Order: sequence, then structure tokens, then C-alpha cells
Amino acid sequence: MRLQDLKKADASWKDKAVHARYRVESIGSLARLLRHGPGKMAEIFRWDWLRTLAGASNLLDMAVYTRTGRYREASAYALAEVIGGIGDLIDSICAAPDRVVIHEDLVPSEIFRGMGLAPFMAEVIGIAVPLVKADWAEKYIDIAENEGTPPDTCSLPKCTMGVALDGQFPKSAAIVTSNMPCDGGMASYTILERELKSPCFRLDIPYNFYNDRAIDYFVSELKRMIAWLEEHTPGRMDWDRLKEVCIERNKAMEHELEIWELIRQKPAPMAGEAIWLAQLIHMVATPGSPRATRTMKNILKRTKKIMENGGGALPEERYRAVLWNPPTLVFPELFVWAEQQYGVALLADMLTYHRHPFIDVSSPDSMLRSLAQIIVEGPMARHTRGPAENFFDDLFYLYEYFSLDMIWMAGHIGCKNTMALNGMFRERCREREIPLFIMNYDLSDTRVVSPVDMKKQAEAFMETVMKAEPLL
Amino acid sequence: MNQAVIPDFFRQILDQPVNNLVDQAQEQGKKAIAYTCSYVPQPLLSLDGVFPIRVRAPGVVGTPMADTYLSSVICSYTRSVLELALEWAFDSLDGWVFAASCDHLRRLYDNLDYLNKPAFNHMIDMPHRGGAAAEKWLTEEYKSLGAALAESFGVDASPQALSRSIKEHNAYLSVMREISKMRKQDNPPVTGAMFQTLLAASTSAPKDMVMDELKALLARLRESNEGKPYRARVLLAGSHCDDPGYIDVIEKTGGLVVAERTCTGSIPALAPIPENDAPYETLAGQALANISCPRMMESFQARVDEILEAVEEYRADGVVLQTMKFCDTWGVESGPMVQELRKAGVPILKLEREYTMSSEGQLQTRIQAFLESMGK
Repeated sequence: MRLQDLKKADASWKDKAVHARYRVESIGSLARLLRHGPGKMAEIFRWDWLRTLAGASNLLDMAVYTRTGRYREASAYALAEVIGGIGDLIDSICAAPDRVVIHEDLVPSEIFRGMGLAPFMAEVIGIAVPLVKADWAEKYIDIAENEGTPPDTCSLPKCTMGVALDGQFPKSAAIVTSNMPCDGGMASYTILERELKSPCFRLDIPYNFYNDRAIDYFVSELKRMIAWLEEHTPGRMDWDRLKEVCIERNKAMEHELEIWELIRQKPAPMAGEAIWLAQLIHMVATPGSPRATRTMKNILKRTKKIMENGGGALPEERYRAVLWNPPTLVFPELFVWAEQQYGVALLADMLTYHRHPFIDVSSPDSMLRSLAQIIVEGPMARHTRGPAENFFDDLFYLYEYFSLDMIWMAGHIGCKNTMALNGMFRERCREREIPLFIMNYDLSDTRVVSPVDMKKQAEAFMETVMKAEPLL
Repeated sequence: MNQAVIPDFFRQILDQPVNNLVDQAQEQGKKAIAYTCSYVPQPLLSLDGVFPIRVRAPGVVGTPMADTYLSSVICSYTRSVLELALEWAFDSLDGWVFAASCDHLRRLYDNLDYLNKPAFNHMIDMPHRGGAAAEKWLTEEYKSLGAALAESFGVDASPQALSRSIKEHNAYLSVMREISKMRKQDNPPVTGAMFQTLLAASTSAPKDMVMDELKALLARLRESNEGKPYRARVLLAGSHCDDPGYIDVIEKTGGLVVAERTCTGSIPALAPIPENDAPYETLAGQALANISCPRMMESFQARVDEILEAVEEYRADGVVLQTMKFCDTWGVESGPMVQELRKAGVPILKLEREYTMSSEGQLQTRIQAFLESMGK
């Protein structure tokens, strides 16, 4: 299922202009890489993933194809900033090739910025590129499997390993990873370390982290990491610089919390990619960047505008939903389609929901402590590592907080952690009379479940469980 | 000819998830504590008044109920254990202790707690690396387990009591090491399947009830002068493998398993535990240094080296690396491990398996081809 299956919106000339404006901006944010000169371009455009990402402006079609007015504008803006954020990442590794630190997604990258390093989240390739081209990761999944990785391992680390095995990572001064978010993700760094031939540091994070002892342990790990990075890279910790990054992150978080508060209203004045995709890139991959703050601020501004005009983001909000588990990377149109077909507003997702919002910038220790808490109480870590209650409690809290009608669970077959919770999850939702849709799919591999089949599953749920009448 | 055999006493222990010796010990007032995995220290569960039972799932036929909760993409060891737990097979046990070793065990703990909550259910928070901070952390975890045992079962969990327990455990290890050493001989009197039977049986029953039989067997083995003929000596490496039947298939095909570098095998489970005044610290240090599961994220090369050393020590002709299907840590690591062992000139066969023995013919064919590829 792709965009062609959606009904195109009756766009006004203004809507069309919005589309054109942000498409140009998106192209511009990738085109600025040209400033690094032809030599660098030849080097980085060897990477298939970057060539595919060059077409990322097409992502805008997804958001604007079916939408009109302010919601169309907000979605287009959010996506343009997402593309810009990815552009920033690539730009920074081009600008400081000797300072590149490749890191895993559950590592506080604010610290690398505080040390004057150029962080590059390894998994961002496997997250971002399938959004642009659904079947892109499959070649790299196959490469990893041909090197002996089991087919049942999560396809995101498999894709990341495949990209490394194919020599498509930037050169790096160091690698930093951790024991999170899952065994497959953790183990994948054995391959990355071997292939990238960079020294590797591994952060150890306790299983159950709700006490000072666990946070103390993790903070001591962060200190060990800083000392190690000072030894192995040109980076030096500048606590003032880290403070600036943390303050910037706090500002973005403040805006985000306000957005959450506003979308509690019925109908919700914002939904979809402006919520989940913006958060995924700006708060997970590039936290503490000025772009992240700007994006959250502007999404908030647009949310308020929609509210002022009355009504919600969707022309007709009939259902409110949360997407739990990693989002459907190979089928990002899922919620655009659900909006159009059934009036489903997606208001939150697992990766968006942070339990520990702010960083205490009063001292170096307080910053490390807050960063440690953000990681351990953050998405994935809290849900895949700690006790099962973490997973359920957050979800049921969100269900109440946003007055949801149902829970959509992206049942990624490679996520053994959450697959092993689904039995309990079904029963607990039944007890609470919460409609639950567990969608079978694979995060990065359309050969396991195609987008068409994903859509069919959603249709079956909406029409049999929710008794929803299609809007179209 | 004087070929030793394993007495039925040991085989019968393995027939049931909870055997008669456990019942007998409970009738004497001792509390049986189920545990998994190797990071749970046996001496700590052997304090006066309690005894450890390493959880196995013999006789499980299919896991339909466990699949409903754990899904079918979780390792079949954890699914098999949950299946039997849902059939009340472990209900007579007095408690459970888990280590947060991998995703699968953690979710087994969660599901067991939800579906058939044990009266005592404890999780050890295991670090993923070694070093002083991790040792300190794990020491505290073991102390916390000791305190929980003291509170629930009234056992003496003082360092002195634990030291006594370690001393007794060392006596058991010493007998097992003696038997294991014989496997280095040209024609060992004990096969891999026999040894695995002893090892699994002695962790599935109260140690004091198997010690006399073990000592008697050791004496008989010392007198035996003939082992079974074989084509090649094999080192078994990889994940959890508590089924002597699996090793038996390898041996029926001509391989002789001379050592197991697995979490349920001879290496490193038989290493003596230092006896000193800081037993909790010692157990923690030893667990982090010795039990090298791929969950220990910094130790890949150490695991490769350990296998290479064992190959030399036991004069193995090749390595069978078996990994449990759906185990991500072994699954991902096995790729580079195969490469490293090949680079070192060690013939290696990688096999994926389920917890319960199946596809025996297929396994025989793979082993046969492996032996032939080594010119044996």
C-alpha cells in the first residue's frame, strides 16, 4: 500500500504552495552538504543509504497528500524539519570527520556534543531510510544474515550490521554503545566493532533502575565513558557546553510537554507525524540541538493556531489512538491512511513518551544524573529492559491521559521482549475493556508482512472490533 | 574389558522436572529453590535449610500454552519451562531465583509472576560487564538474595554460613573435576553424554543426596580401562544444553564430546571457588570473570580464547557450536566466532537447535559430514 491508494486531498492553491515550499526546503537541507566539496561528496555518496535519503523530500507527499489547511502545513513543516535534522547529522560528520562518534540509540548523545564530538546514531540509517523507500533495508538484512546473523534477530540491528558489513558507515574515532535496548541490539555491536575497526565503549545499565543505587551505578558508567572518550578521541569535556546543550533540550521538552497538554483536548489540535516522527528524530537522534527546540516550538505554535480556529487537526476525529512499540518504519503512511479511512487521530507513541523530562543543569553531577534518568526511564529502555510493569503502566497511563479509544500495538516480530508480553497485554486490556489491535509486522522488512497486509489487519480490527464505518 | 556405565540412579533424576530426591529433601524440612541461569550461585542457594534445583523441562511435548504468552519467537527453553509451570509441574517447589541475564529469562520471570506467581520469586540484576563497579554491584545483589532467603526461609545467610556452603560445594566440584579430567585421556572411560547426565542430575537434586553415588562412580571410573571407540574428539560450545540425549546423538555418530564450553557444561562450571572471609564478593567476582555468556558485552575475544584453550587442553579435533534458536546473544555472536575459530585453524560446525531433542536424523547427517570434513 502506498500513497496511490489514498484519496488525494482537494488542495487549494495555498495548500499546493505549502507543499512546494517545504519540498524546496527539504531539498535545500540536504543540498547544503555540497558545501563540503566534490571530494567529500564523492566519498559520502558512495553510501547507498545517503543516495536513497537524497529523495527524502518525497516524505512530504505522505503528510500532505491527504491533508489540507493548517494541519497540512504543520505536518509538512514537521517533516521538513525531520529531513533537516537528518541533514544536520550528516553535515556534522562531514564537517568534523576526526571527531565522529558512532553511537547506539540509547546513549545520551548530549554528552558527545558537550565534548565537542560529532555524534552519529548508527540506527538512524535503518530508521530513516525505510521511511523513504520501504524495502530499502532488505538488502542489508540479507547481508547480515549471510554473515551468520539469525533470521529471527530484530531487523533494525540486522540492517545496521548489514550497512556496516557493506562498508557504508562513516569513519569514526570511537563507538559508544550499551546493553540496551535488547539482546539483539546489544550483540550487534560485536559486529560493528569488528567492521568499523574503531575502539568501542560499552555502557552498562542496570535492569531495574528505580533507586539511587542504580542511578549512581549508571552515572559512574557515564563518567567512565567521558574519561575513555577523552583518552581515545580529540573530544574534551566542556561542562559549560554540555550545560548549553542540556538547556536547549529542556526548552524543546517544555514545548513538547505543552503540545501533549493541548492534544488532550477533543478533538486533538495536532496528530500524526508532527507528534511521533518529529520526536523520534529531534529528541532521540539529535537531542539538545537548536533545530529540535525550533521544531517543537513551531509545532506548538501551529497546534495553538489550529485550536484558535476551532476544531481539531483532522476534519473529523472519530477515534483517538496511541501506537505502542517501535513505529511502522516500512509503512509510515499507516496513520495518514487511518486518519482518512476511519478518522483515527494518532496522539502518542512509545518512542515519544519520556518519563523523565528535564535536565537539572545546576552542576556537572546533576546533569549526568538527569541524563542517566532520561535514558533509563526513556522509551525502549524502560519498556524492553525493566520489569513488565513498566510497559503496561506507561501505556495505561497514556490511555487515560489522552482519553484514547484504543491501543494500536505494532507487534514487530523481531522484538522478542514485547512479543513475550503480548499474552499478558491482551488479558490486561480485556480486563480494562480497552480495545487492543496487535498488528503483526516486521519493523524493517516488508517481505515478512507487506504494507497491504498491515492495512488489511487494521481494516479488520476497525470494522470488526471498533465497528467503524469507513469514511471514504 | 572394563567399561563404566552411568547408574540408573542418575538417569532417573533426569526423567522428571522435579524428582523424588527433591520430595525426600522437602519431607525432611528443606526448601527447594528453582533457579536459572548459571549466574545464580549454587552455594548461596545451598545454605543450611534450602537447596538449589536448576530448572529443566524434561518430557515437555509442545508449548501451546507458553506460546500464547511468551509467543513462539522466544527460546524454547523458556517456553518449555513456562509450559511445565502452567501444568503445575513445579508447584511443589518453594521458590524461584532468576538472573536478569537475557530478554528471554526476564520475560519468563514476568510471565511466571503473572500466571502462576511463586511464593518466593527473586530476580538478580546482573551487570553486563566485569570490573570493580560491576563486582560491587553484583555483591550487593547476592547479599540482597541472601537477605531475602533469610527473611523467607529463616536460613542463616551470614558470610560464615556462606563460606561453609562454598566449602561443601567445592567438595562436590572436586569430584566432578576428577571425572572431567579423565576426559582428557586418549580413550576416556566417560563419554560426553555420561558426563552431562552426571552434571545435570547433580544440579537437579540436593547435592548431599548424590555425593555418595558420585564418589562411588568416580572410584569405578578410576578402575575402568576402556572407553567407547570414536572417530574424533569434539568440544561442544554454545548456549544452554542440559540434555544428554543431544550429546548422545553426536557420540552415536562417531564424535566423542570431551568438554562442553556451555553454560550447563563442564567449562567453567567446575572451577573451584576460593574459600575466604568474603564469600559474597568472591562469588560475584567469579561469576563475572568465569561465566562468559555472550550477554557479557565486552568479552567476545575472551570467549574465543577460552574455546581455543579448551580445544588444546582436551585435544579436541573440532568444535560443535550449538545455539538455541531465537537466542540473540549467541545467534549474533556465533557468526564472528565461527570466523575467528576458522582463522585459528579449528574445524567448526555451527548448529541451531531447539531445547527439546528433535530431528535426530538431520543432526546425525550434519555431524557425520563434519567428521568426514575433518578426515575422520
